[in-house]
Amino acid sequence: MFSLDYTNRQPIYEQLYQSITQMAATGVLKKGEPLPSVRLLAQQLGVNPNTVQKAYAMLERDGIIGSLPGKGSFISNDVTALERQKKLIEERLREAVRSAVGCGITREEILEQVTAVFQERGEPE
Amino acid sequence: MIKAKELVKTFGCKAALDHMSFSIDGGSIFGLVGSNGAGKSTFLRTLAGVYRPDGGELLVDGEPTFENSRIKGRICFIPDYPYFIPQSTPLEMGTFLSRIYPRWDWSMFQKLNRIFPIGAKKKISTMSKGMQRQAALICALSARPDYLLMDEIFDGLDPVMRQLLKRLISDEVSSRKMTVIIASHNLRELEDFCDHIGLFHKGGVLFEKDIDELKLGICKVQAAFKPNIPGEEAFAPLNIVKWETHGSLVSLVARAGREEVLQKVNSFHPVFSEVLPLTLEEIFICEMEAVGYDIDNILA
Repeated sequence: MFSLDYTNRQPIYEQLYQSITQMAATGVLKKGEPLPSVRLLAQQLGVNPNTVQKAYAMLERDGIIGSLPGKGSFISNDVTALERQKKLIEERLREAVRSAVGCGITREEILEQVTAVFQERGEPE
Repeated sequence: MIKAKELVKTFGCKAALDHMSFSIDGGSIFGLVGSNGAGKSTFLRTLAGVYRPDGGELLVDGEPTFENSRIKGRICFIPDYPYFIPQSTPLEMGTFLSRIYPRWDWSMFQKLNRIFPIGAKKKISTMSKGMQRQAALICALSARPDYLLMDEIFDGLDPVMRQLLKRLISDEVSSRKMTVIIASHNLRELEDFCDHIGLFHKGGVLFEKDIDELKLGICKVQAAFKPNIPGEEAFAPLNIVKWETHGSLVSLVARAGREEVLQKVNSFHPVFSEVLPLTLEEIFICEMEAVGYDIDNILA
């Protein structure tokens, strides 16, 4: 269900955090939908259960998932997930703009690209 | 819980373990790394009760392991060269070990024999190195230990078997809080799998840390500055571990969090900057260089 990139330098618990957030934000995982248990997920991915536990704890702290004793974890708040996801994407967007500026792409050229993306999607400017 | 206090083990006049003190929590997957001859295998052998400590103490759940069969019945050790009774088969090894390990589980043994298809009735001596490792693993996991010690376990196992091993261990750790200690030079494998890392050097522990803390506390920066680059001293009070320049490009390693470093670097208005977490291998090399164990010194 979740895939990890072992060649990525990002810690595994962060990768898990982000992929669960993304799934909740895009509605792949719906509100109230149960998540696999720490044990099952760790076993499936072949990673340390403590790592999965850490990702779940962070998601719970940020209000994206909730847990009930004996029932396991579930998606509790897809709105929070969406906000998180937006923040993450915005940061990536800024990063992309920074590198674009770094190699001399102008503001107009960047905006042109943005407009082109919206046009591809057939949405009004 | 494993606790080493001022642990000493000497061979002749050489101290393989030199006043070593640290502890390992239960339910943790602990990676033991270090230079050759750092004392990793000696530590595991002492922990398994093969060696008697020459000084200090090494306690497992509050008890020493040497000649202590009650504790040793809960510890399994797979050495770098696993031992099997000459001419034996995995089944015969199982029969032998089932009389030693009080919690031996035959249903687990059968399950593992289906997972690792090496043949329970084939002579172990005729098997390849990787298959012998698998035979040792079958025996160790069937003993249902609370502490599983493995020396260079990934050696000789193919990628499919490695993944399988990780899943099996992961399952045992989450279901019954087994503690695992893996000594290895294969940092890539440890990086994804361990939650704590202990770095050994010359019989001592350089550090023992949570792997995420370890990775978040140090980072690598690449940045280009124009027209001229700030000097190393301009980056104070950051703790710079490594400093290299190529023209207008600076690459540095600093012992600080990502945000802190980025803020400092950006205050000099770089043309571009990139902050990367270090891989375990890079951390290892960095820390070893800090104690004077580096390639330049060895080649000199």
